[in-house]
Order: sequence, then structure tokens, then C-alpha cells
Amino acid sequence: MKTIYKLFILLVMVFGVTSCGKDFLDLQPEQSVSDDTFLQNIDDFQTAILGAYDQMQNSDWYGRYFLLVPDVMGEDVKQNASANRAKEWAEYNGSAVDFIPREIWAELYEGINIVNKIINADFVPPDAVKAEYENILGQAYAIRAIAHFDLVRVYAQHYTYTADASHPGIPIVLQYDVGSRPARNTVAEVYNQIISDLQQAIGLMSIDPPNAGYLSKEAAQAIASRVFLYMERWSDAEAMATAVINSGRFTLVDSANYANQFLVGNSPEAIFEIVYNLADNPGSDHLGGMYKETGYGDYLPANDLLNMMDPGDVRSTMFLVDPNLSGIYGSLRVNKYPSAGAEIGTDNLPVIRLSEVYLNRAEARYRLGDEPGARADVNMIRQRCWPAAPDITASGTALLTEIQNERRVELCFEGHSIYDFTRWKKDVVRDDCTSIICTITYPNDRFILPIPEEEMNVNPNITQNPDY
Amino acid sequence: MRKSLLFGLALLIWAGMALAQDRTVSGKVTSADDGSPLPGVNIVVKGTTTGAVTDIDGNYKLSVPGDANILVFTFIGMTTQEVEIGNRSIIDIAMALDTEQLAEVVVVGYGTQNKEAITGSVSIIDPAKLEMMPQASFQDALQGSSPGLQVVNNDGAPGAGISVRVRGIGSMNASNEPLYVIDGIPVTSGAVSQTDFSNGGRSSNVLASLNPNDIESLVVLKDAASTAIYGSRGANGVVLITTKSGKASDKAKIDVKARWGFADFAFNNLLQPLTGDQYFDAYVEGYVNLGWTEQAAIDQFWTQFPVNPETGTYYSTNWLDEITQIGFTQEYDVSVNGGDEKLNYFVSGNYFDQNGTVINNKFERLSARANVSGQLTKKLSFSNNLNVSNFNQRGITDGTRWQAPFYLAILMAPAVPVFDQQGNYYADHKSFFMGGNNPVGHLNEDKRELRQTRIIDNITATLEIIEGLSFKSAWSFDILRVDEYLYSNPRYGDGRNVGGFATEARTGVYNWLGTQTLNYGATFADVHNLDVMLGYEAQKVKTDVVRADGEGFAHPSLKTLASAANPTNAFSSRTQYAFNSYFGRVNYDYQNKYFLSASLRRDGSSRFGPDKRWGTFWSVGGGYVLSEEAFMENVNFINFLKLRTSYGITGNASIGNFPWAGLWGFGRAYDGNPGAAPSQVANPELTWESQSNFNIGLDLDMFNNRLRGSVEYFSRLSSDLLLNRPLSLTTGFRSVTQNFGDMKNTGWEIALAGDIVSTDDFILTLGGNITFLKNEITFLPEPVLAGTKRREEGRDFQEYYLFGWAGVDPANGDPLWYTDSTKTTTTNNINEAVRFYDGKSATPKAYGGFNLDATWRGLTVGLFFNYQFGNYLYDGPGWVLHGDGRFTPRSTSQYAWENRWTPENANNATFPQRAWGGNQASNTRNSDRYLFDGDFIRLKKVNIMYNFPNNITNRLKLRSLQVYVSLDNIWTWVADKELYFDPEQTISGFYNTVTPISKTMNFGLNIGL
Repeated sequence: MKTIYKLFILLVMVFGVTSCGKDFLDLQPEQSVSDDTFLQNIDDFQTAILGAYDQMQNSDWYGRYFLLVPDVMGEDVKQNASANRAKEWAEYNGSAVDFIPREIWAELYEGINIVNKIINADFVPPDAVKAEYENILGQAYAIRAIAHFDLVRVYAQHYTYTADASHPGIPIVLQYDVGSRPARNTVAEVYNQIISDLQQAIGLMSIDPPNAGYLSKEAAQAIASRVFLYMERWSDAEAMATAVINSGRFTLVDSANYANQFLVGNSPEAIFEIVYNLADNPGSDHLGGMYKETGYGDYLPANDLLNMMDPGDVRSTMFLVDPNLSGIYGSLRVNKYPSAGAEIGTDNLPVIRLSEVYLNRAEARYRLGDEPGARADVNMIRQRCWPAAPDITASGTALLTEIQNERRVELCFEGHSIYDFTRWKKDVVRDDCTSIICTITYPNDRFILPIPEEEMNVNPNITQNPDY
Repeated sequence: MRKSLLFGLALLIWAGMALAQDRTVSGKVTSADDGSPLPGVNIVVKGTTTGAVTDIDGNYKLSVPGDANILVFTFIGMTTQEVEIGNRSIIDIAMALDTEQLAEVVVVGYGTQNKEAITGSVSIIDPAKLEMMPQASFQDALQGSSPGLQVVNNDGAPGAGISVRVRGIGSMNASNEPLYVIDGIPVTSGAVSQTDFSNGGRSSNVLASLNPNDIESLVVLKDAASTAIYGSRGANGVVLITTKSGKASDKAKIDVKARWGFADFAFNNLLQPLTGDQYFDAYVEGYVNLGWTEQAAIDQFWTQFPVNPETGTYYSTNWLDEITQIGFTQEYDVSVNGGDEKLNYFVSGNYFDQNGTVINNKFERLSARANVSGQLTKKLSFSNNLNVSNFNQRGITDGTRWQAPFYLAILMAPAVPVFDQQGNYYADHKSFFMGGNNPVGHLNEDKRELRQTRIIDNITATLEIIEGLSFKSAWSFDILRVDEYLYSNPRYGDGRNVGGFATEARTGVYNWLGTQTLNYGATFADVHNLDVMLGYEAQKVKTDVVRADGEGFAHPSLKTLASAANPTNAFSSRTQYAFNSYFGRVNYDYQNKYFLSASLRRDGSSRFGPDKRWGTFWSVGGGYVLSEEAFMENVNFINFLKLRTSYGITGNASIGNFPWAGLWGFGRAYDGNPGAAPSQVANPELTWESQSNFNIGLDLDMFNNRLRGSVEYFSRLSSDLLLNRPLSLTTGFRSVTQNFGDMKNTGWEIALAGDIVSTDDFILTLGGNITFLKNEITFLPEPVLAGTKRREEGRDFQEYYLFGWAGVDPANGDPLWYTDSTKTTTTNNINEAVRFYDGKSATPKAYGGFNLDATWRGLTVGLFFNYQFGNYLYDGPGWVLHGDGRFTPRSTSQYAWENRWTPENANNATFPQRAWGGNQASNTRNSDRYLFDGDFIRLKKVNIMYNFPNNITNRLKLRSLQVYVSLDNIWTWVADKELYFDPEQTISGFYNTVTPISKTMNFGLNIGL
């Protein structure tokens, strides 16, 4: 009997110990893949670049705030009575503790990290996928350029704020380093990096994308035309714009299809836009929700903008009457992103369209002294929306004003306003104003956002913007 | 392997069923003091689990195996007697009061110990508190009942979560909740939820599955000597729950209990919504203060709000009244307890049905238990504890979400009616007012439901190898399934833009555990008592999740995903973790006078990287019973005096499953294609948080045990804190989980109880406990921002870091802030002010409870208070509810309205001038305007119970009969008269419009058959 009992104990102990051998504790995550097993083949790179596009879709980047903030800081919109989101930036009284400067900063640098992993991965593609790999790499460079460009516009004064652009920009990040505490590069250094990355991208990309939701060689050139415009490198801007226009890949939509291009997406003039579909479920968090009655409806179109539009211009029809708006809030709502019902929040959001490329070129040509060329480009954009519009005959500063006004009307609610105002060195003067602040003079420390408090706390090498 | 083991076990059981000749012994047990019969005395045949309990008249009867010859009589407060049976069949004995001490046996980790032998710090909760509790979860009984425990009802909704902190907060980012162990199984605790249902964890509680009436013993282990045996999971304390087991007796005991209760809000100073007239005035005033004419504002009002055809003017809905009700609870519990020398059983069934104070807020539980134990042979015994339970919960979305009822009840305009002219829930305000939310409609038509099914089983076999040496094999599982269902209607509220939406989520948690222990106990030379335990344990916990979402519901009665036009999300995930452990403990004492104990555990966990997987934890403890010393013999007024101390190292591994690995996450998608991105920073060096824990205590009984008390000092030093250390955001990550930082909790715990009056038929007892707590971050090279707080070396972990509110400018009604911590200059522009520390923390300086109990014959009256001092509370949504008009045209509270600045009320105003769009647009920042003193005392329970005397129960043929009335949370005192939310609903100090705690009135009946 006793031997049986002893055997029993032995059995249990042996069972217990052997069943829990070394691999008992060696468990692997099932929803994630570990660092050292990823980016090993072309499919991994394809997945990673989609991760980067998904990052651009984030509501703090092209999904919402990155596009909303520059517009609420300008003249084109006014605050609704119930305005809540981004209100402190519309009222120029935000601070480094607020969440928008933190989230834009964090999400854009997260995007940079994704593409840096792609760019810096140690991978030699087999010949069969070499072109595909280089095309992905090109997209990664382009996204890195866009992210740096977007950051430097939000957190730094515009390129020509100082004569040599030596004023503080944002940290350039080209490598992942968990312990880094980078200082700010100058604006000149940041723009040089952007140009360098865009040139890499243009050289690497050779495959036409399936739709405008993905970057292409021409998209990188189009972005470059805007970057050169901001740098006032007029001939480079003109050259890049011309390259895009002459590529033949894009055509301007006519006035009948104009309004629909935002709802339907992937129009012939879309060069690069962020795709939203039902699975992304952006709901009220989509940029459109900031304007629509069905969303938060925080911001309304200002007469400053509406008065620039002729009733015959199709762009003046992209507003809806809301009977619940009265008095000074009166009565229109922005309807550029009209998706509704179950489809709400599925309008693609534009990053760059062919019409902007024409307007970039118009401005560059004007500065280069090519006024007829500039007039032709502006007429092209105006008359496709307003076929009855007379040809522009203005010249000199009157022509510049025409170019600038056309740019406001064409690109309103697409996240350009304050960047154009500052590089034009213009005051923001809100005539139709529901804010506590109606005039903001140029130059102004508050045209840019503060470095977030979270970064300031951790990073002793970074400097805060003045007046924050 | 497992199969063959079971087969072997079965064989052994069969082989061990040696039959022996039994005989019957009976008798009567009386008190040596006065000769009265003693009911409830335990009689056990020595060396077996065979036993019986005396009945109400002190009589017992039990069947004794042929070879047994000693009976052991035990009764709390009496000296244990061992009586030789010899040839007797009737044994009457008289038991004497144990003047030395109470020989109470306490459940500890992996065993039991006599209370006197414990060298560590344990809190024993009176099981009477667990009977027919007003709350679903037993955790509420921990509140105020023992020093060292801070217990908070995070949410007053039925079945909601309860937070427990044992001796303060020891960790910054890992969990601070104790380990819960039910019948030896470390069980799943906290919230298991994939949806908004749990409101960030506070509204659901998987432990609500356990029927508190089933609990025999509830013990909290607080220091290293008692928790180090749980190694890497011991640092936050351990709550040990032991369920009831059968007791041998002549005939089965049946207990039937029933309770009916009514509930309303406990705190009287809750915010009240505006009336229709006040809202109209507020609406107009908000525009007039912007420079509008009064008529323009009135005209705009009527473009937005409807006319009530019955009154000809605006509606005046009281939304708070509309969404609240008197709660009603009913609970029924039946248990059967009995057995003989071979087989004992405890079987129970429980039905608990609570309708909360919010309409359609419910918790309904069904629970069944079967605990069986048996002696198979002289040497082999077994037990199986099985609990199956199911509960259905219907809750709310709380916090600052637009549907949150207590948020909306204040913000929703009284001018919005509940119903429109067609009798539908009113929704015409959806274009301008919080998505057209209708709190009444939301609670009636939308769904927030959770169903939990849980099985917990523990099966053990114990073999006595030789006398004193036994081996125990315990196998347990805890299987949990949680189903959640959320639905938002298509017409108004959150679902309005997408045709309504629904979510279904299913979570399975599969937890199994095998524990093998060897126990050896012996006495040498009559004076050296030795107790040794060695063990091996393996545990694995798997969690599987499935979730689906859909939008577009066409018909109001079809609410499941089958009717959704657009499936928007399909998701599943699996994750698991494992522990593998070796442990041991030695307890030694010399003549029950000097005690020594030591424990050691080596834990391996899958949660950490391959190189940092194993950790060693240990403790040593010593006790010295001075009252046993000869020199104390003449000190007659001291009955028991013991000094004890301990030191040891425990760990905390309560953090995600793979925090050390560098990962790419795959939840992303773009243009319908899957994407991936780096989701976590690698840190292969990551390992346990470790905690060194020192404890010293003194236990004292005086004046014939009429005064009982203990005093303890503790010091918990947590080091290598598992901290989400902030990174430069330019890295692409916000933080990395690192072992970084140290934190210390020190404090005193005092418990005292005294029988002020103690006569034969009247006993009056006063008791109380207090804990003084101090928390300090002792090492943190970089401060860490955390909402309203900022973690900084040298400060309390929970110290607030806020803008300084300086009140209202009497001249113009502007809000004012102090520019800095000197509080010398003020500004109406918050950008000219900085945040600062003001010495105010969410950590209480002192907390505890006190009670007064009186027993006169069959009547018992008990009063129990709990209290907390020295902490501060932050009103999270204050900036919205009291936003001075920032959110046009949302309503506000009576309190804000009556105290706002107007030219007529310039000097006494505490709220700025109201203007739509907000005043100075800066009230969104965290300022101490919304900070309140958290001191409170609450009368947590008044219990009046009557035990019917024997002559009545005998006539009714009942074993016992009790009726009672209990009142819970019926009175609350707060130091801060401005406080407008319940003071005890947040452990972090941050209040977030949750369901207020209830006061309840219960009527109950206990019948013993």
C-alpha cells in the first residue's frame, strides 16, 4: 500500500514538473509581430507602407485637426455658438498644455517613425520585386517629406520669416533612437531635408498607383511645387508644377462634376488624397463633421470668403442653409464634404489636387514676371467652375490679389488658410467675426502652435516658441 | 499523462476504501462557567475530518471509526479539549473559557494558521458582514472594516466595480488592485469588457459573480510575511476567500434568507438641474452678455425650442427626475449544510435582483454552489468546490460622453420635452443640441447590456503519507464568459447619423491552475513546533475576444447585427500568459511563545523577456508572545500581548502580456487593405516591480478580553517601478515600459475594540480602526504629467498640479487665476498663469471605520461608520457642467446659476459672468476651481436584528428565526459644504459623472430549518 502512495506522489510531482517545461513560459503575442521578424519580404514592406497611410488618416493629421486648425486660424470660417473643438486656436489663446499641439506632434512623428523603419530596413530585394520595393521606398520618402513639411508649417514660422530661414524649425528625424532628445533644426535645414526626400521619392517611384489614395512620382512633384512656393524658389516651383501638369495623368474636372469630386473621391484631378471608407468608421471625427449639422458643426463659413464667390461659380453652391442658424451665425453651413447617413465621414480628404498645382504655378509665374502665364493658369481654374467668368486682365499687385483670392476660393476648408496668409505676410482680418478676436496682425508669435508640454518636459534640448 | 494520472487516482481511491467498524458516541456540551448548554461546538475525531457540531441544546451525536480513541472539542473563546473515548458511548463535557487567548484559525496563503502564530499582518473580515449584503460584490464588506484597506465604490450602478488599495498605492502604471484568491485559485478580477459598457473599467466587475453568502472566511494579507508566498503577485496585498464547507451534523441544516430593499441617492447635495424659467433666463442672459438685444435672444430661443401646447410657453422638463427612480432589490438565498464523518456537503442557491436608481439599470444574478468533501480512507481525503453563476447587467454610458445620464441631466435644456407631439422621444434638437440626445429615450430604447457566465471549480486530493506529513494535489479552473451588447437607435443621439449602430462582443477567459504541496507538521520534545510546506504551481490564463459592429437599422424593433445594413467591424484576438512557481514556507515556534516564519517563492512568468523571466521573492517574520513569559504572570489585566515583525520582498507583474517585446501592430487598415506599424518599444530588460516590505505590530487583549487592540507600523518601498516612462514624442512613441522609479508608502494602523458593558444579557461594544498613510515618490529622474497631476520626486504620487483659481473679478465677472504658486497676483488671461503644486493630494491622510454594537437578549443593534480625511477630489466634467456658458446653449446646475456673477451679485459671486461661448474661453484647463476637500464620515450601516427565542422557534419547528432592518449609507457628513458629488466614488480623486452611490433600506428574514 505504502509503495502505491509513494508512486502516486512521484507521479504527480513528475507530471507537474515535466508538463511545465521551458516553453511553458515562452508565449508569443498573436495580434502583433515582433520587431526582428518583420520587414523580411516585400509583403511586409507593402503592409508597413499601408500602416503609414493609415497614420496619415489619423484624426490628428489629415483626418481632422491638421486640416481644421489652419482654417480656423484664418478668415474663411467663423465659430458657431456651440464651437468647442480647436476653439482655442481660432481664438489665439491656446497653450502648450492643450491636446491639439500634443496630438499633431505625436501622430506626425509616429508617421515619420513608420517610414523610417521602411527606409532604414536592411533588405536587399530580389530582382523580381526590385521595382515594387523601390516604389514603396519612394512612397516612404515622400511621406517623410510630407510629415516634416506639415510639422514645420504647424510649429515654425514660415520659410521667409527670416532672410536665411535660420529661425527654429522642428527636429529632423531620420533614424529611430529610443533615447533621443533632439533639438530643433532651423527651418532652412528642415526644408532642405524635405526637398532631398522628395527628390529621392521622385527618383524611386515608377509605378502608377491604383488610385489617388497612394503617392506617385507626380504626387511628390506636386508637393514639391508647393514646398518650393513656400520657399519662394519660384522657378523650381514653376518647373515642378509644369512637370505635373504635363505628365498627362490628371485633368481638371468640369463644373458639373466639381462638387462631387470630394464625395466620390479619386477624381481625374485628385493627385493625392486620403481615402476614407466605411471600415474606417470616422463618424463625427472626420473633418466634415466639424462643419456639418450632423457632426459637431463647430465652424461656419464666413462672409469674408462667401463674398469672394460669384453666384455663378459652382463653388458658391457648396453650402447648405441650416434654418437653426440665425443672427450673426447665419444661415449657411460648409457642404464641401457632404457624405451623409450610413456613409457619413467617407469623403476622401484632399492633400493635393491639380487645381492647386495650377495655382502654385500661377503664383510662381507672377513672381517670375510671367504675368500672361499667371493669368492663363488662374483663368483655367476660375472658368472651369464659373464658365461665364470674364478673363482676368489685371496685372501687378492687382493680379497677385486675383491669384491669392482664387487660391482661397479654390482651396478653402482644405487646410491652407493660415499658411498662405503668413507667407503672404498678411494680417488676418475677420470682418464677419463671431470670435473674441477679429484681427491678428502679421508678424505674430501666435500664428504657430507651441511645442507640446509633454515634449518640453522630456526633452531638455528643445526650445519653446515665443509667447507660449 | 493527465488521463493516466486520473486513472491512478481512481484506483487509489478504490483501494483505499478500507472499511472499519464504526460506533456512535453522543453527549452534551455545557459551559463550565454557568452550566448553560453550548451550541455550535465542533467535535472532531482526532486525526480525521470526521466530526459533528452541537445543536441548540448543546447535544451532539457522531459516528466514530472503530480505531479512533480521541475526540477534540473546539469552540471559539473556549479552551480546546481532547477527550479519550475509551469504551464510553456518552461523553458529556464542560468547556472552560480560554482566558489565555482566542484559538482562532486563520486562512493564510496555501494553508491555515492559528492566529497567535501569525508573524505577518492580516485583516480578518467578520463573515457576518457578508450575509445578504446590499451590494452584489463581497468587496464592499472590506470597506472600513479593517485598517490598511481603502475601498471605494467607483460607480453606484448595480453590479459595478469596487477598487481596493491595501496600504496605499504601490505602483504607477502596473495594477494596484490586490490579488484575489478563491479557494486557492488566483481568479480573474476587475473588469472584463471590450466595449464602452464598463466605462473604462469602473462599471463592470467580474467578481460580482460570487455570492457573498457562500463565503466562510475573508482575509486580507497585507505584509511580506503573509504575501511573499504569492511572489510576483503579492505586492498589492492578497484577498483570500474561502467558501463554506459542510459540517458533520445529525441532520442537514437548511438556511433560508430573504431580503427586500429600497434605494435612493446617498448624498444630499447632488447638483440639481435648472427649471424651465431659469433656463430661459440663462439662455437670454448668455446672449445679452455678448451684446445682443434681449429681443434678439428671445427670438432665437423660439427658433430652437417648441411651445408646450398645454401651457402656451416653453417646456420645463426636470431631466434628473425623469431618469431616476427609487431602486428596488430582492435577494433570496437557500443553503443546505450537513454531512457525516465520511462525506460533508454545503450546497447553496442564490437569486439577487437589483433595479438601480436609474431607470432600466439592472443587475440580476443566479448562483449555485456545491462544496463536497470526503474522507476516503484514513489517509486519503478529497474535496471539490464548484460554483456556477450567471448574471445579467444593464448599465449606462457615463463620464462626459453625450449619452451619460448624469451629465445630460444637468446639460440638457429643460425647454426640451421628453416626447414630441406624436409620442416619440423628442429629437428635434439634434441639429444644435448634443446630437439630439434624449436621456429618457436613450435609457429606454438603447441597450447597454452585459451577461457573464462563470464556473469556478477546485478539486483536491490530500494524502497523509506518514503522521504529520501530507501531500495535497489541487487542480482548479476559472472559466469566464462575458457577452456584451450595445445598441444606439437611428433617430437621435449617437446613432443618428449612421442609421443606428450595434456592437456585440464576446470574451472568454480560461484560467487553469495546478498546485502540488507537501506539508509537514510536528512537535518535538513538547516545546518545538515545526510546520513546513513545499509547493509547485503552474497556471495559464488564455483570453479570447470576438467583436462585431454594424450600422444602419431600419426597424425600431430589430436591434441585432443581423438587421444591420453595414457591418463595420469584425475583430478577434487571443492572448495568454503563464506562471510557473516553486515555493516553500517554514513556521517554527517554541512553546507558543517565540515564533519564526520564513517563506520563499521562485516565480517564472511569460510576461517578461526570456532573460528576465524568473524572480525570487522571500520573507522572514518573528513573533514574541510576552504574555506567556513568567514575568508577565502577575500582570493580571493583560490577557495577551504579542510583538511581531516581518520583512520581505514581493513583486508586481500586473501589466500587459508582452510589455518587453518590440512589436508591429496590425490593427490598421487603409483603402480596405491591412497595414502595420510599430506599436511597442522593445525593452528586453523589463522585469518585475519589486517591493520591500517592513512591518511591526503589537497585539493586545486586556481586562478579560474586554479590550482588544493592535497597532502596526508598515513601510512599503516599491522599486524598479513598472513605469510608462515618457519619451520624446519625436521617437514616434509616447512612452516605454521601464523599471524606473521608486515609491514609498508608510503608515500606522490602529484597531481597538472594547466591551463597554458586558453582562449576561447585555453587551455593548465600541470598536474602531484608523490608518494613517503617507506616500512619497522617492526616485524619479523625470517628472511625469498625468492629467490633473504630475508625478515628481519627493512628492505624493497623487498630488495635484493645477492652475490656481482666484475667484471672480467683482468688477466685471471675469474669471481670475493666480499667476503662480505665490498666489499674490491674479490675471483673467490663463496664458499668463502657470500650473503649480499646492500640497493637495488625492491620497487620504487617514481613513477607517468605527462601530457600536449592542446586544440585548435576542435584539442586536449595530451602527457602522466609515470615514476618510485629508484627500482632495477633482470634478472632471466641471469645466463642461460649469463652463460659464462655453457650450451654447447647454444648461447648467442650479448651484452655478445661483452663484454666477451679475451686476447685482457682484461681490458674492463664485461663478463668472455667463456668456455663450464661455468667459475668457479658458475654463477648459485643469484648475483648482474644480477641486474639493474630500473629508467625509458616513454612517455606512445601521442594523437592527431580532433573534426569536427558543420557545417561539420550537413552537414554529424552526432551528432559528431572525428578522432585521438595515439602513445603508443613510447619513453622510462632508467637510466641504460646496461639494456636489458623492465623496467616496473615486480612488484617483478624479470624479467623472458616475451613478451616485445609493442609500438603501432593507428588510430581511432569516429562517433556520
